[in-house]
Amino acid sequence: MAAGFLRDYYIYFVLLGIVVILSVANIDRYDLFERGNFLYPKNIINVLRVSAPLLMLAGAFCLLMVSGYIDLSVGSAMSLGAVVYALLAINGVPIVACVAITVVVGVGLGAINGFLVVRLKITPVIATLITLSLYKGIALLLVEDGVSAIKSGGGLKMPAWFNDFGRDGVLLGLPMAFWLAVAVTVALIIAQNRSLLGKYAAATGGNPTAAKLSGINTGRVVFGLYVLVGVAAALAGMARSSFMSLGDPLSGDGMELSAILVVLLGGTAFSGGEGKVLRSFIGALIIMALTVGMLTLVPAYYQTLVIGAALLAAAASNHLISRKKSAF
Amino acid sequence: MSVLSHLPAGAQSTAERPRDSGGRRMSDESFINLLVASVAIVLFLAASAMVPNFFQFQNMVNLVTNNWAVISLGVGVTFLLVSGNFDLSVGGQVALSGVLAVWFAQSTAGANPLATGLGLPTWLAMACALAGAMAIGGLNALFVVRFRVPSIIVTLGTMMVARGIAKVITEGSQRNTNLPDDFGALGNLAMFGTSIKFPVVLMVVLVLVAVFIERKTVFGRLTYWIGANPVTSRLSGVDNARHLTCLYLFSSAIAGVVGILLASEFKSGFSARGTLMEFDALVIALLGGVAIAGGFGSVIGMFFGALILAVVTSAATGLVLSPDWQFILKAVAVFLAIMTQTWALARRNR
Repeated sequence: MAAGFLRDYYIYFVLLGIVVILSVANIDRYDLFERGNFLYPKNIINVLRVSAPLLMLAGAFCLLMVSGYIDLSVGSAMSLGAVVYALLAINGVPIVACVAITVVVGVGLGAINGFLVVRLKITPVIATLITLSLYKGIALLLVEDGVSAIKSGGGLKMPAWFNDFGRDGVLLGLPMAFWLAVAVTVALIIAQNRSLLGKYAAATGGNPTAAKLSGINTGRVVFGLYVLVGVAAALAGMARSSFMSLGDPLSGDGMELSAILVVLLGGTAFSGGEGKVLRSFIGALIIMALTVGMLTLVPAYYQTLVIGAALLAAAASNHLISRKKSAF
Repeated sequence: MSVLSHLPAGAQSTAERPRDSGGRRMSDESFINLLVASVAIVLFLAASAMVPNFFQFQNMVNLVTNNWAVISLGVGVTFLLVSGNFDLSVGGQVALSGVLAVWFAQSTAGANPLATGLGLPTWLAMACALAGAMAIGGLNALFVVRFRVPSIIVTLGTMMVARGIAKVITEGSQRNTNLPDDFGALGNLAMFGTSIKFPVVLMVVLVLVAVFIERKTVFGRLTYWIGANPVTSRLSGVDNARHLTCLYLFSSAIAGVVGILLASEFKSGFSARGTLMEFDALVIALLGGVAIAGGFGSVIGMFFGALILAVVTSAATGLVLSPDWQFILKAVAVFLAIMTQTWALARRNR
């Protein structure tokens, strides 16, 4: 009973704990809600704004891992989405077309992953390592030589609306990108709990053979989930490029690690079959609060170490929660 | 001893099982090695036809010598892949051991924090740095073997931990001042009166030793067995856990030495050194026909895989493609290699 409670709700306590620690760390210098402290409202809004790309990815990535698959190319897909979106915008394409084309690109990137894994039966890790390299290469090629990112200059200018998606507060001071991430997550929570998609994903991850024998088209489920992750990555890229107001072909680097980390933090089993979208969303909030909040306490170069240690800690705690027998 | 004596025969991978059809049939492994080597040679000739000045002896030497670090790392990574496990932490370990070696060796009286070290003698600094890298290998083994976390996740985590420690020690950049004079000796030592440096010779020796271990020792054959079927190997009395721990320590020792040699060559400990090396080591192993499912592959194949990658990337540079092309070229090369090998093996064993 107690163990079950702990397993279901520990993630919220972790989030609470991190927020409390970050809030009291500077308490001797600033009041609780004063500028300079973590709980300063503008700081909270900033953390949530920066979090939008990861929040966008967390749900879809969680479902993919629940079905027992992995996508290491999300970071590159995100970069490519960011570059495509910025490239279209700076060349005067209207906003609706920009968004639509970026989403279609996301569908395409996800479909390539799905094709390699489901059709050609290449191991997911290798297939998505191949596309990691491929998408990154394409993103780099789309940006001219000698320029680090697509941005205003050289006769071209970013349109005025470009920043709106990732920066302009529309509700509670939070931008469209954040609310879209929330909407995507809510939709996925409903899909996981109330539709067959959730059951099929869990069945595919829990026991693929049994799932196939009970008539589930596991190939189609997995393909669909890869497409979903591709779209989420493209939207995440859009959010990032809008927030930074440039199309950076390296902006998604390392995102695959963050995505794995938040999903593991959410208690998803690596072997598939278990895991909740909502908990991954909370996991993403934890990581973003930690990485942004940490900046007020220690220099930025501590980030890699903290994220790596968090990844190992999440992996170890998952082991302690669900012990499984293996070949060793 | 009697329990162990039958193991080498039993440890042969399914790929090397003698077939009843025909007398002496080449093993699948030799077949793939031959395939990979032929592809490397064909690509080299094709590149020579297209790129001016490509077909030169010095260029052939450069293809190997420029890649000593990745090929060395590939040895440890190949052994682990054969046992069915990933090691993506080697790039981080390269950065960590290099930074540690420099930090330990820097003299204590520096003008600023980044110029101040622990002032150990060079040999001791290098030994301690190696121990530091091997601690990461131990961490890998702990999580993979004890906690049974998938190796890909563990080694991605330890990659960040290793690089993270390197970043903290160098404050996000590098340490390159206040070093003893002999620190740069090892990495720049020219051998046999030629321009070939000590690390390259070490790499060649490492590859030869690894081929011997892989083919002629019980340890090597057991690695294949564990990769092919960890359950049967455990049930037959093999200590899988200890074996994997040894492999992770072996891989991290190689990565540690590579990092120290690079730090010595450049006389600096740079926290971003070795970025993407883990990726390249994996890529050359895959190009060389190592199966990530475990139980199949060889160091020789990995070596030729490295040559394929070297020819492709240097030919691309020779054709004046932008360096950004390298990512796409790697992706296409790995994709083609995997598809070809799967196809060739399926056709051969039909």
